[in-house]
Amino acid sequence: MKTIEYLPHLADIRVRIEADTLDELFEAGLKGMTNILKKDFCSSLTEFRIEYNVEIKSNDVTALLVDFLSDVLTKSYVDRMLFCELSVSELTAKSLIATVYGTRADGFDEDIKAITYHEADVKQNNEGKWETLLIFDI
Amino acid sequence: MFSKDQLIKHSDYLWEIPKGTRADMRVPAYVYALEEMLDSLMKDRSLQQLINVTTLPGIQKAALVMPDAHEGYGFPIGGIAATAYADGVISPGGIGYDINCGVRLLVSDLYYDQVRTRLEDLAKELYRLVPSGVGRGGKLKLSIPELDDVLADGAEWAVRNGYGTSDDLKFIESHGRLKDANPRCVSDNAKKRGHDQLGTIGAGNHFVEVDRVGKIFNEQAAAAFGLKEGQMVALIHTGSRGLGHQVATDFLKIMSAAMPRYGIILPDRELAGVPFNSEEGQNYFMAMCAAANFAWCNRQIITNEIRTAWKNIMGKNERLRILYDVAHNIAKIEEHRVNGHTRKVIVHRKGATRAFGPDNPEIPEEYKPCGQPVLIPGSMGTASYVLVGTKESMNASFGSTCHGAGRSLSRTAAKKAVNARELKEKLKLKGIHIQAGSDKGIAEEAPIAYKDVDLVVETVHVAGIAKKVAKLIPVAVIKG
Repeated sequence: MKTIEYLPHLADIRVRIEADTLDELFEAGLKGMTNILKKDFCSSLTEFRIEYNVEIKSNDVTALLVDFLSDVLTKSYVDRMLFCELSVSELTAKSLIATVYGTRADGFDEDIKAITYHEADVKQNNEGKWETLLIFDI
Repeated sequence: MFSKDQLIKHSDYLWEIPKGTRADMRVPAYVYALEEMLDSLMKDRSLQQLINVTTLPGIQKAALVMPDAHEGYGFPIGGIAATAYADGVISPGGIGYDINCGVRLLVSDLYYDQVRTRLEDLAKELYRLVPSGVGRGGKLKLSIPELDDVLADGAEWAVRNGYGTSDDLKFIESHGRLKDANPRCVSDNAKKRGHDQLGTIGAGNHFVEVDRVGKIFNEQAAAAFGLKEGQMVALIHTGSRGLGHQVATDFLKIMSAAMPRYGIILPDRELAGVPFNSEEGQNYFMAMCAAANFAWCNRQIITNEIRTAWKNIMGKNERLRILYDVAHNIAKIEEHRVNGHTRKVIVHRKGATRAFGPDNPEIPEEYKPCGQPVLIPGSMGTASYVLVGTKESMNASFGSTCHGAGRSLSRTAAKKAVNARELKEKLKLKGIHIQAGSDKGIAEEAPIAYKDVDLVVETVHVAGIAKKVAKLIPVAVIKG
C-alpha cells in the first residue's frame, strides 16, 4: 500500500509519499515523478516494453532515493522514456540494485530540472510506514 | 524559527543578522529589504538558508541576500557569498540547477509608434522561430564533438558558425566565454540532455519579451547604453537548459560523497561543497564554466532567431544590437576588497546579478564611464528594468545586485486564481500580446504570482547597489 500526495509549493512541486515498505516507497517516488513528467501517466499505462537497470550507491537511504530518482530522470530525458514500475533486487540503507519498467514517451508535460534533497528525509513514522517529502525543481 | 527582532537595522533597506545568532556562523549575514518585504521573507526559510550560507568554510565578510529573495535549495534565491580563493569552498547550491540562467537585452532603431500595428504579427513570428516549451528541441542537433566545442567556446562558437558577429561578443559578460571551461568534466548524460536544446527557451519563468522603453531615470547612463524613451527592445531570459541541470545534479552527488574526506559538515545537503582547489572542486568549476558557455551560446542563437523574426516583420534592413548580457546563476573568480585588502575570491551569485561600477576593466569600453548594465526581468505583463552597476555595489555586495521580481504565489495558487484566457485578453487590452505554449504556463506566470518588481528595484536603487536607468514596458511575451 502506498500513497502519493501533491502539496503546495511556492515555486516548484512538493510531493509526500508514504508506503508500507521501503521498496514500495521507492516505487511511489518513481510514480510520483513520472506523473509530473506526464500527467497521470502511470495510472493509465498497463504495458511496459522497456527495462532499465539501476545500480546506485549513496551516503544514506534519503540520498539513495533522491539519487535513484535523479538517475531515472536522466534516463527519461536522454532516451525519451517514462518509467512507472520498479522491481528491487537489493535495497539496503546505502545501495540499490533494481530494474524499472516503462515505455517510450511522445513528449512531456513538465520540465523537471532536478530532484532536490531539500526537505527529503526517509524515515518510518509512528504507524511503521515509510515516508518522506520530495521537492522537484521545475 | 527566526524572528525580526533578531535583526539589527542599519537603514531602511539593510538589516544584519549578527554573527553568533547561531553558533556555527563564520560571518554575519546582511539582508537588503524594506521592512514591509521582511514580513514575506519571514514566511519561508530564506533567512535560515542565508544563515546556513554563513557556515561555508572560507566565506569572506558576510553572506548577503537581495530584496527579491525567496527560499531556494542550499542558498536562498537572491543569495550572494564570496569564499576565499583558492582553498575556500565552492558550492553548486550557490549557483543553482540552472547554471548561467541570465538575461540579454537587444536594442532596435525603431520606436513604438512606428511598430505598434505590427506587434501581434511580431509575437506570432517570434513564437514560430524561437522554440519554447517543455521538451521542445531546437533546429541544431549537435554531435558530441561539436557540443564539446560549444562548451569550450560559448558564444564564440555561435559567432564562428554564423549566428551573429564578433561585435556581439563585446557586449556579453565575460564575452560569452569562460576560459576555465573543460568539456571533459561534463558528463555524457549532461551532453545528451543538452545536445538538441541550443536556441531554445524552455518552460517555466523563461521567456522572450518585446518592450518599449518607458521612463528614463538616468540620462547619462541611458545615453551611454543607447536607450531612448519609446525605443523598441527585446529581452531574452533563459539559461543552460537540461545540460546545466544535469551538471548540477551530477556534482551535488559527487560533492556530498567527497565532503567527509575534507572534514566538511554543512547544515543542508543542498549546500554541499568542497574546497575550490580540490579535485572535485576543480572538476565542478570547469564543468560549471562549460555549462555557462552553453547558456551564452544558447542566448546567442536565440538572438539570431529573434533577429530573423524582427527582419521578417519590421523589414530586412532592421537591426537589433546587443546592449548587454548578464548571468544571474553563476560563480566567478573576482577581486574584491576584504578587510581593507584586495583579495581574489570565488563569488557565488544565486539569483543575483553582477553589477560592476564605472571603470571596471571587465565591462565594455563604451560603458566604462557609467558602469555595467544590469538587466532585471519582471513578471509577464508588469515591467522590466535596466539598471547600472555602482562603486557602492563593489564595496557592499561583491559587485552584485538583485535579479528579478521573485515569486510570491505558488504555481498551484496562481493556477487557481487566474483564468489564463481572461488574463491573455486583459493583457491584450493593455497592449501586451502573449504567445504561449499552454494556458497552464500563462496562469503559473501571471503577474500576481510575483513580488512587486518596482519595489525590488527601488530597494537596490535606494541602497545604491545598482541605479535605475530605464523602465521597460512589455508589448509582447513569448513563453513555453
